[in-house]
Amino acid sequence: MSDDLMEVRVASVTDVAPRIREFRLAPVAEPLPAFSPGAHVVVEMAGADKTYRNAYSLMSDPFNPESYGIAVRLQEESRGGSVYMHTRVKKGDILRITPPANLFAPFWAAKKHILVAGGVGITPFMSYLPEMQRRGADFELHYLFRGTQTGAYRGQLAAELGERFFSYDSDAGELCDVKILLARMTPGTHLYICGPESLIQSVQAEAEARGIPAGFIHYEEFAAPRPGKPFTVKLSGAGQEVLVDEDSSMLEALEAAGVEVENMCRGGVCGRCVTRVLEGTPEHRDEFLSAEEKSRNDCVMPCVSRAVSDSLTLDL
Amino acid sequence: MQTEFVPGIKSRPVYGPVTINPHSQRQIFISEGHITQDLLSLYDGCQQGEKTMLAAGVAGDASAGGEVVSLEGLSDYAATLPQSSSFYLAGTEAFMWDTARLLNDAGFINDQIHMLPPVSNERRLFCTHCYTLMEHVTQSPHTCTGCGRELLVRDHFSRIHRAYVGVQINAEDPADLPAEPEELS
Repeated sequence: MSDDLMEVRVASVTDVAPRIREFRLAPVAEPLPAFSPGAHVVVEMAGADKTYRNAYSLMSDPFNPESYGIAVRLQEESRGGSVYMHTRVKKGDILRITPPANLFAPFWAAKKHILVAGGVGITPFMSYLPEMQRRGADFELHYLFRGTQTGAYRGQLAAELGERFFSYDSDAGELCDVKILLARMTPGTHLYICGPESLIQSVQAEAEARGIPAGFIHYEEFAAPRPGKPFTVKLSGAGQEVLVDEDSSMLEALEAAGVEVENMCRGGVCGRCVTRVLEGTPEHRDEFLSAEEKSRNDCVMPCVSRAVSDSLTLDL
Repeated sequence: MQTEFVPGIKSRPVYGPVTINPHSQRQIFISEGHITQDLLSLYDGCQQGEKTMLAAGVAGDASAGGEVVSLEGLSDYAATLPQSSSFYLAGTEAFMWDTARLLNDAGFINDQIHMLPPVSNERRLFCTHCYTLMEHVTQSPHTCTGCGRELLVRDHFSRIHRAYVGVQINAEDPADLPAEPEELS
């Protein structure tokens, strides 16, 4: 990792929904650094044959960083990280995490905040809520989940938030119409989404059709890098060749081969891992580069992107 | 000697060609005083959404060609608009940024505020020594009306002050001035 990792001790492990497990992380030596609402950490997990690194939002009150809370959903198509967290990590274990970073902070100048959470996407809002309540901000939380799998903390949220809380359990036939949410937006209202790509895209498409500028719609998706066809990365400096298999990201393959690449979000949004491409054609999957930059094909975000060509030569 | 400008400073706004956002429900065109030709062309070419032309600060002048509003009146007007609005501004740079601030305060974001290239090279200048704001500055150095210092007019544009930043031109030797002032772009 580019940043110095911190050791934390797993203080408790709690099932908070059928497929979601909460971990409280306590400091081992130094106190944990303060963070801001919407921040995340990357947890390093040393598996048998590879090291997993997944980003998780911090759920605790930013005002009180005595311990960090993260929640992990067991993914149907897990690449290993969520299974590791669910089956291997026990109370008392030591984990290594990055210091908090924030790519999803609230826009505090907004007159009103509409928070839309899909499933385990409730996690970043758990750190928003205490601060929004302290500031007396105008907000509402719309929580979309499947009651047989997710929906963590919904009882607690309903009790704490009262009329500000809107719950939609799709397993109980309760659906959220994003058109109604967007129709109620007035100047100064900002909308935040954390959830699956499909939810984010449906809100974005509706906002565009309504002429609501993209800057009012804030989103965070920490989807794992999707698999793709294998390819070879050639490093211009050392002349080394690294095979990126179907299930690994380019960044993971480079790290496994001992190649350091600066990175932070590991989800194609922060831009830290941008790397120059000298030969070959990347398959861009990130949210960071502009359409124009992608079309030049002279740089790539190895955390999520892959290659169209059989090999890619990087300036490393 | 003269302190050099830093070329290509990032904070200086870049005014590119303005295009109409066809998805906006309301299209609001705002001119400082008389409607400029560029703004009128944009207005005439706008086919989507309900459009409105406003001319600020020329009350009582029928030739302004638009609904006339004062800057104070604009806040009340903006409060009646839907979130799906686009704004197209023409005039001096200081006017456009003042207008943008009023719109920001009403909840609109810069994504929906489009500024045409400023109609003149006039700059608003902020003295970093005595905090005086000066309007219509076209040359550097400029004598501060507040503290009398000769200010180098930098290309650094402060969005907080909606002004360019002026600093003592040669702090080592304030009497050492360039032979000819520089015309600002």
